[in-house]
Amino acid sequence: MQTYGLTIPGADSRLYITPISAARPAPDPKPSSLPVFSSRTRFGSIKAKAATMNGAVTAEEKELSFYELLGIPESGSIKEIKQAYKQLARKYHPDVSPPGRVEEYTEKFIRVQEAYETLSDSRRRALYDQDMARGLHLAFSARRYQYDEGMEVKGDWKNRWQSQLSELKRRSSYKDDRQNMSWGARMRRQREGLADEV
Amino acid sequence: MALSTFSISTQKPTSKFSSHFSFGPALPCPQQQKLFNQVKKRTTGICASLSESGEYHSQRPPTPLLDTINYPIHMKNLSVKELKQLADELRSDVIFNVSKTGGHLGSSLGVVELTVALHYVFNAPQDKILWDVGHQSYPHKILTGRRDKMQTMRQTNGLAGFTKRSESEYDCFGTGHSSTTISAGLGMAVGRDLKGKNNHVVAVIGDGAMTAGQAYEAMNNAGYLDSDMIIILNDNKQVSLPTANLDGPIPPVGALSSALSKLQSNRPLRELREVAKGVTKQIGGSVHELAAKVDEYARGMISGSGSTLFEELGLYYIGPVDGHNVDDLIAILQEVKTTQTTGPVLIHLITEKGRGYPYAEKAADKYHGVAKFDPATGKQFKAAASTQSYTTYFAEALIAEAEADKDIVAIHAAMGGGTGMNLFLRRFPTRCFDVGIAEQHAVTFAAGLACEGLKPFCAIYSSFLQRAYDQVVHDVDLQKLPVRFAMDRAGLVGADGPTHCGAFDVTFMACLPNMVVMAPSDEAELFHMVATAAAIDDRPSCFRYPRGNGIGVELPAGNKGTPLEIGKGRILIEGERVALLGYGSAVQTCLAAATLVEPLGLSLTVADARFCKPLDHALIRKLAKSHEFLITVEEGSIGGFGSHVVQFLALDGLLDGNLKWRPLVLPDRYIDHGAPADQLADAGLTPSHIAATVLNMLGQTREALQVMS
Repeated sequence: MQTYGLTIPGADSRLYITPISAARPAPDPKPSSLPVFSSRTRFGSIKAKAATMNGAVTAEEKELSFYELLGIPESGSIKEIKQAYKQLARKYHPDVSPPGRVEEYTEKFIRVQEAYETLSDSRRRALYDQDMARGLHLAFSARRYQYDEGMEVKGDWKNRWQSQLSELKRRSSYKDDRQNMSWGARMRRQREGLADEV
Repeated sequence: MALSTFSISTQKPTSKFSSHFSFGPALPCPQQQKLFNQVKKRTTGICASLSESGEYHSQRPPTPLLDTINYPIHMKNLSVKELKQLADELRSDVIFNVSKTGGHLGSSLGVVELTVALHYVFNAPQDKILWDVGHQSYPHKILTGRRDKMQTMRQTNGLAGFTKRSESEYDCFGTGHSSTTISAGLGMAVGRDLKGKNNHVVAVIGDGAMTAGQAYEAMNNAGYLDSDMIIILNDNKQVSLPTANLDGPIPPVGALSSALSKLQSNRPLRELREVAKGVTKQIGGSVHELAAKVDEYARGMISGSGSTLFEELGLYYIGPVDGHNVDDLIAILQEVKTTQTTGPVLIHLITEKGRGYPYAEKAADKYHGVAKFDPATGKQFKAAASTQSYTTYFAEALIAEAEADKDIVAIHAAMGGGTGMNLFLRRFPTRCFDVGIAEQHAVTFAAGLACEGLKPFCAIYSSFLQRAYDQVVHDVDLQKLPVRFAMDRAGLVGADGPTHCGAFDVTFMACLPNMVVMAPSDEAELFHMVATAAAIDDRPSCFRYPRGNGIGVELPAGNKGTPLEIGKGRILIEGERVALLGYGSAVQTCLAAATLVEPLGLSLTVADARFCKPLDHALIRKLAKSHEFLITVEEGSIGGFGSHVVQFLALDGLLDGNLKWRPLVLPDRYIDHGAPADQLADAGLTPSHIAATVLNMLGQTREALQVMS
């Protein structure tokens, strides 16, 4: 399961150490910007996976919102979205991409596709806007904006039980300390004590 | 030759195929693996597409993967993808099996993925897996070596409809009544600890069973003892049985259900948690401690109001989890299994009863218990009967009484369909109380109602009333409160078997000092006894009636019976020398026995005692003085009607003369499930048996043998 790219609520792109200050529909890969993201933890966000081996798409581009990717303002109309999408799709389609950059362009194409799918559906767009407003800027494909409440709910559940499981593992490491005088703990210590002797 | 078994049109590949693989873990060789893949492509897809089209297979689809599984060990080498396919095949297998035999369908369909995941992750029978109530254990039985016997489910000498220790080592605890698995599981866990073993214990319990007090008693103790065990709460929001009343689905009974559903719907929690994570990471430093603290706080904030209940009881709560997602289930179970020293863990699964069979998903009762049906259309084959069931007659009688008397109320314990109280509910929505699976509470609750001058009728199965015995004695009988007990499913009950058999109610009710105990011999008598019970207002009373349909006598006008004279029986046939004194439904078998011996020139007297307490002394004296042989017949255990009669005979001096008395009761062992006729024969209470007893007593042993063959 993908981790989310998360920012502190209320933060804006200022926190991204990226030369990209405004949306750029066609950013070129900038290897020099890569080292910036090694200091991930400082920005309180769990970024998506690091750039691919051939530097196809930089991590920074994953921070672009759908609007930025398509190059339209957030209040863009459906027509603008469509236009932007068509333009970009024609540019980045794998069939027309320059040789040697096929993978990079394909990935971009996929992102553009996703952006269009989300923004052209009013419900999904509404959800996406909501998340943006709350400062949860999620990496692409990290959050399925299907208006399928069942899926959303189940996604929530999955997160919850995953954290519950890690908590369980953590607790189990100190569960049988001396202080724990429950019957079960005593029996376990006894059993372990016997095992140690053997 | 192996190819032939894969063709889609064949119907019974299973037994042939499984024998090939019974000698050990079945790893398909490469050629066969290829065949599997080919078959997979050819099959019409056993999964989601069917629900969308709203139909189902009419023929049993091929189950190539399931055919290779005889025992859980055969599953260990499967990939998760194959396990999903196995779940689908298992589901179709359950549907087709139940369509041929009848039984419990909806609940089994809801736990298919869970069963697959449990047997994959854990190593039964060393690891103990307990199924509460047991009616959802059909997939479990299929995976544990009983697939070839599934067509004998709930039949004489066949598989039991619930888990049964004597049937298989994979059934580690016998169930049938609900809410027992956490207690039993804790016992097994503690036993394991004391013996120094290290297997796992998993108790599966439903949200309906969670409404019973015993589940809390067990969880309370489990939290205190802190022994390692896993409790799986199978939550499908179906708290009462059947899971619908006559007019549609029942909303869950009780406050617990709403608490459980709140757990499922807490959305902002995730984001809060993520933010909390983000905060700790930004702060950096000694991440561990800080993260732990934040986690702790976040957890406290995040936990829904329901999970804190389990947490307070000392169980570690995990959930909610999608109970139909094999990946998730396996991941969670693996994690919990490999974590040492967990103490008791509760995993909250959300499942859908009847899942995977479109007709069950849509039905209001989710096809909880079904007769034989046609898989393609979902239509059940219900035999047309000329009379209705005693359950229905009881409901109608009670409705008629309640029309006349506004103080009459009905109480049942999550068995609205089984007791007929759904009919009463429809007519009197505010006067019918479903307390959930809580018989003890139901009885004391009725006692409280009686204190206020109401006339409560507790409609509880004879075997389920066993759970509330102290409440009957202490809260009702001791204080002489006029609570009426309507004990359905008295005597042998057929396919459900000994767990549901009402063998003991005459014994344990008639020994109570203040209780009036009666039993109708036919449905008209039932109407009168309901009226009688309604009229008895100064002491508790009870009456028992069997499973099954009426015999076809004329019913009283307007369904309103007339109260009988208490302590008065009746003579049905006047004969000589031998008298049969029957109690309840046994009277009908006595009448049949009298018909059997008629050709031999014997004319038996047949009497219906009607009341076990107070006994009709005059009738008994009369029979004792004018006959040489007296046989008391009842479908109950020793210590019941017959014992009361002979006690009276002895005290009255009637045994000091010429009289010979013999009792006919249920034998001193449990009668296994099967067809009602078979059970009666096994118990020795058929008309032939009664006739043979008479003839033996008369010394006509050859005729006795003849009538038995």
